[in-house]
Amino acid sequence: MKKLSCMISAIIIAVSLTACGSKTDEKSAAGFAPHLDTNTSCSITVAGSYDNFEALEAEFDRFNEVYPNVRLSYVKLDDYNNTIAMALQGNDQPNIFFSNGGMKGNKKYDSVFELAEDLSDPALSLDLDCIRSGLINHDAEDRVVMVPVFSRTYGMLVNNDLFKKEGLNVPTSWTELLSVCETLRNKGYTSPMMGYSLKSSGCFMNTVAYPAFAATLSSDPESLKLANALDPAAGEYMRPALKTVEQLIQNGCIDLNACDEIEDNYTQVILRFFEGDVPMMICTADTVSGTKKRESQSEAFTNAPFAYTFSPIPLTDDGGYFIDSPSIEFSVNKNCDHLDMTNEFMRFLITKEELNNMASLKRLMTPTTDLSFDSVYAPFGQVPSDRIISPEMLGITDPLTVQIRVAAFKVGKGELTADEAIAMYGSFE
Amino acid sequence: MGAECDMNKKWIIIVNVFIMIAMLFFVVLYSKLQSQNTAQSQIEHFENTTIAMERVTENYLEGEQRICDVWARYINSRNMTIDEAVSFIRISHVLPNASAHIVYLDTLSGLSTKANQDTFNDYTVSYKRMDLLNDVSWISEIGESINISRAYTNPVNGEQSLAFCNLITLHNSETGGLQDAVLLRVLPITELEQKWVFPQEEYENAELSMIDADGNYIIKDHSFKNSNFFEFYKSYNAGDTAAAQELFEKITSSTGSFSMRNSRGEKCILAYTPIASKAEWVLLSFMPMNELSVNTENWLLVGIVSVGLLILFVFDLTVMLYFNQKLHAAAREAASANKAKTDFLSTMSHDIRTPMNAIIGLTTIMKKNLDDTELVRENLKKITLASNHLLTLINDILDISKVESGKLNLCPQTFSIVEAVENLVNISQPMIKEKNIDFHFRINRMEKEYFYADQLRLNQIYINILSNAIKYTEPGGHVSVDMHEDESKKPGCVQLTYIVSDSGIGMSPKYMENMYHPFSRQTDSRVNSIQGTGLGLAITKQMVDLMEGTIDCQSKLGKGTTFTVTLDIPIAERQREDMVLEPLDVLIVDDDPILLETAADTLKSLGVTADCTGSASEALEMITHRHETEQDYSIVILDWKMPDIDGIEMTRRIRSTVSPDIPILLISAYDRTDIEGAAKKAGANAFISKPLFRSTLYDTINDVLGTGAKSAEPENDYSDLHGMNILIAEDFDVNWEVISALLGMYGINSERAENGRICVEKMRSASEGSYDLIFMDIQMPEMNGLDATKNIRALDDPWAASIPIIAMTADAFSENITECLNAGMNGHISKPVDIKLVIKEIRRIKEEKKV
Repeated sequence: MKKLSCMISAIIIAVSLTACGSKTDEKSAAGFAPHLDTNTSCSITVAGSYDNFEALEAEFDRFNEVYPNVRLSYVKLDDYNNTIAMALQGNDQPNIFFSNGGMKGNKKYDSVFELAEDLSDPALSLDLDCIRSGLINHDAEDRVVMVPVFSRTYGMLVNNDLFKKEGLNVPTSWTELLSVCETLRNKGYTSPMMGYSLKSSGCFMNTVAYPAFAATLSSDPESLKLANALDPAAGEYMRPALKTVEQLIQNGCIDLNACDEIEDNYTQVILRFFEGDVPMMICTADTVSGTKKRESQSEAFTNAPFAYTFSPIPLTDDGGYFIDSPSIEFSVNKNCDHLDMTNEFMRFLITKEELNNMASLKRLMTPTTDLSFDSVYAPFGQVPSDRIISPEMLGITDPLTVQIRVAAFKVGKGELTADEAIAMYGSFE
Repeated sequence: MGAECDMNKKWIIIVNVFIMIAMLFFVVLYSKLQSQNTAQSQIEHFENTTIAMERVTENYLEGEQRICDVWARYINSRNMTIDEAVSFIRISHVLPNASAHIVYLDTLSGLSTKANQDTFNDYTVSYKRMDLLNDVSWISEIGESINISRAYTNPVNGEQSLAFCNLITLHNSETGGLQDAVLLRVLPITELEQKWVFPQEEYENAELSMIDADGNYIIKDHSFKNSNFFEFYKSYNAGDTAAAQELFEKITSSTGSFSMRNSRGEKCILAYTPIASKAEWVLLSFMPMNELSVNTENWLLVGIVSVGLLILFVFDLTVMLYFNQKLHAAAREAASANKAKTDFLSTMSHDIRTPMNAIIGLTTIMKKNLDDTELVRENLKKITLASNHLLTLINDILDISKVESGKLNLCPQTFSIVEAVENLVNISQPMIKEKNIDFHFRINRMEKEYFYADQLRLNQIYINILSNAIKYTEPGGHVSVDMHEDESKKPGCVQLTYIVSDSGIGMSPKYMENMYHPFSRQTDSRVNSIQGTGLGLAITKQMVDLMEGTIDCQSKLGKGTTFTVTLDIPIAERQREDMVLEPLDVLIVDDDPILLETAADTLKSLGVTADCTGSASEALEMITHRHETEQDYSIVILDWKMPDIDGIEMTRRIRSTVSPDIPILLISAYDRTDIEGAAKKAGANAFISKPLFRSTLYDTINDVLGTGAKSAEPENDYSDLHGMNILIAEDFDVNWEVISALLGMYGINSERAENGRICVEKMRSASEGSYDLIFMDIQMPEMNGLDATKNIRALDDPWAASIPIIAMTADAFSENITECLNAGMNGHISKPVDIKLVIKEIRRIKEEKKV
């Protein structure tokens, strides 16, 4: 009788399985408690400067699990910096738009921020605490008109398997870095460190020099004022940063000729690193974001995959700096249609889970307090707080960044000496 | 056997499950095939709709392009400056949301027909920071092709727009020369989205998109992610690069469809077709696969078939298990019955051989000692007992066989319960006497004497129970019978209750569970010495059931048993006339108080005053006292067996000390022949057997007092039979000799007819009064007894036609009796004949003749 029951049960199960299609969702937004009618039907547009934004589109799909009738779309605006203001006042206003620290304070965007909603308003219930405090920028009225969805930083991709193979530890101090580079060079690695060096924009010299320069300025408010004012006297503050660049090249850590073969500061940097013979590739987190997608595009990496991480460059004997800057920030157009649903989407998005999820999809650096979820960025999560510098909080302006970038590039390329570059502070364009 | 059954069951289940799975498999396969066919036809339809949409799109684009072409031709033909051209377009323009831009190719700046959104009087426009007009090679000559831009942001108002373009030449008023420019007819995407939609009535969630040769969207709908369709495809659909590239080439060069995953991982169908009027542009239609309504009915079918098969399977299994259990039970019963029958045959063999052995053995002994009269008498007695036992055994076997085949029928006839009880007591007497059993038979409230029922079966019931009680009671034990009448719920009936109690060996509860089953006998060392067929109770139960009565048994092992049979018996039309005696004073003496009570009641109902006493000495005093006061009792009724002074001694004392004239009746539950001589010698006037029926008392008292008609012939007086002539139809010589000799012993003359035909002839030729009755065998040559009877009943002579005919046959079943009675016979005697029964039957016929 027991056997009979088992057989009947098995048949029922088999029949059930045959008769029913199985559908399971790998991810769900089940943890999100909706505040609005989930049958609400409307359209929400996010306008930005990215050609495409797959990570955000994935969030649209997750949001649609809760609100299936909300139509969300991402639109790229051509000449974003010049068209966003018009778009916000036109017939087809976006609900959410890209913003960044550079726009704030620029009169050109005053009209843009006039339309931006205060996202710190408790009524919106946004979980701003999930974002690292250094990335949240409060304006003069203590409003938060933009929240970061990604962050950026400076560092180096490390081929961990290569280090393991050579019996070396990843350097954590300046001395160790120079020593490891020498060892690697002796082992046949002509350029233990590499990076893009063809143009100043995105060049490795800036990636090395900027954190050092920002660290110098952060220790002396007066120096920052001078530097922001592009006062030539502030040139001297660049010296430690420029010397660091010089030393890396002069000590043979970086072979400029090898670096010059890298044609762009993004795809080619990644593909070169994936060749597997570069122990350390200096780049920004923006470049790291392209690694995941390109793993499959690199024949060398596909054939011989290896473990890699993104770490701060150990510029001092106390280690490296974590320059923590927002990459892309979202502002909400308070005049848009369906503002309630727009805020509901922001409430959905600005959570540790969703921001991390979005960051992991594109391997961008998350702005949340939890960096450990992505092993590539995990080393930055271990940087002590006193070595984390937030340029936006510090008050570093865009013109200043241009000075150090060009200066470092020219010094690195040997076009200027450090002294000459220091003397030219404020004149670089 | 059990393991084999389990194996069979397992195989049946496996085969059933296999068939179910196979059927389901084919249903699913068929459904899938149907679904695929339906899906394929819907996909084809979707493709065709896409092609239709391409034509609609093409017409729309051509229409919009044509407007641009007209403007461009007009501007080129008029050698206009940029201001003139813009003014002209402003006049020509009719769409409120559309605008036009004229942009110099060298500076990528120019004028707009609509003012800049921020500054209401600024009509300048710049495409410098837009990657749209840096390369204008995609713009064909006027009228050659549709020159539509990708979706881009209108630099004048920030709206996402499309532009239909043409290269134009403007007059430069400053240089006087010509200057190349681009005319853009700019339409907001929102405007286009409202018009350019997939036919919603057919596919609710289908979306459209247009891509160029590189996969870049010219215009895209919501579900098309990324900025490039190919990137979109690669992002959500795994596969090697070469295959993807091949697919993309196919998309940009032909019409067709394929399935792919959208950003939510849902399977979608994508149809593609090139736009004829714009080289390398492709129209894409995109729709979730679940929009194709192909599955519901089929899954319903699969579901219904599955459930149906499951129900069928469970039902079949249940029925199969049910019948298996039944078969198991039947097999067990058959095996058990078979064993029982084997046991029975073995027992029967033993039981038949035992009396047969006695008969044969004793016969042999007698042959050798024919001169020893005493030995012959003794052996004949033993042979008679053995023969009777053998006859009972054979009757029981035949009865149970009838019972088992369901052919036992009742044959009701009018009978006297008094005679039935007398018969019952008489039959029991030898064993009671032999075992010296204390026996009582009491009746109470027995109002009716004649009933209409199957006397044979009723006797069988009563005799079986009583003989069992006597059989299973140890010598010196006690057996009592109580019979009484009650009102019946059935109209025309009385409820006759018959209770037999004994102090015998009793029965175990386990045995009682099966005691009514054939061939069952209580297993007891004491029982083994008791002869019996083991069929008695089974037959009794069947008969009681057949008569719609009840039988109940209370028994305790070692203590005794009480059987109670209750039957509703129809009252016969014939009853005795009102029985009332003259006023008499009667004394009844018996140590049984119940008998005293019932006898007093009975006498009272006869109009007699009765004094009762349980003590002989007290009775003697009462009789003496009456005699002294000259008020003698009219009659004294004494029990023969009393503890202090028995009935004979009591009679003797009355006769010697009181009066020699007082009529004395002796009552006994025992065989009176043993005491008859002594009793008559002591002075008893008559005997009466227990139980004391009303009619018995009435007749006997009348006889003793000489007040009524003599109701019965003396027991051993057969003078009334002398000179009777009986015709016996019997083909078998020995039987004829036996019956004629037996009848001759009673002074009855008999004449033989060798078969039915001769019998009829004899009757036809006989003169009136030649024969008093006919004993008719049934199975005879030439003409059987039944036909002979019918022929006799059909004779013209009224005497011959009405002569009493008694069947005398070995066909002893009730239906044979019924058959005989139906043929016109007046009674039935079964062979081997009991001469006492034959005499009784002759007297009955005589009695009826008188009436």
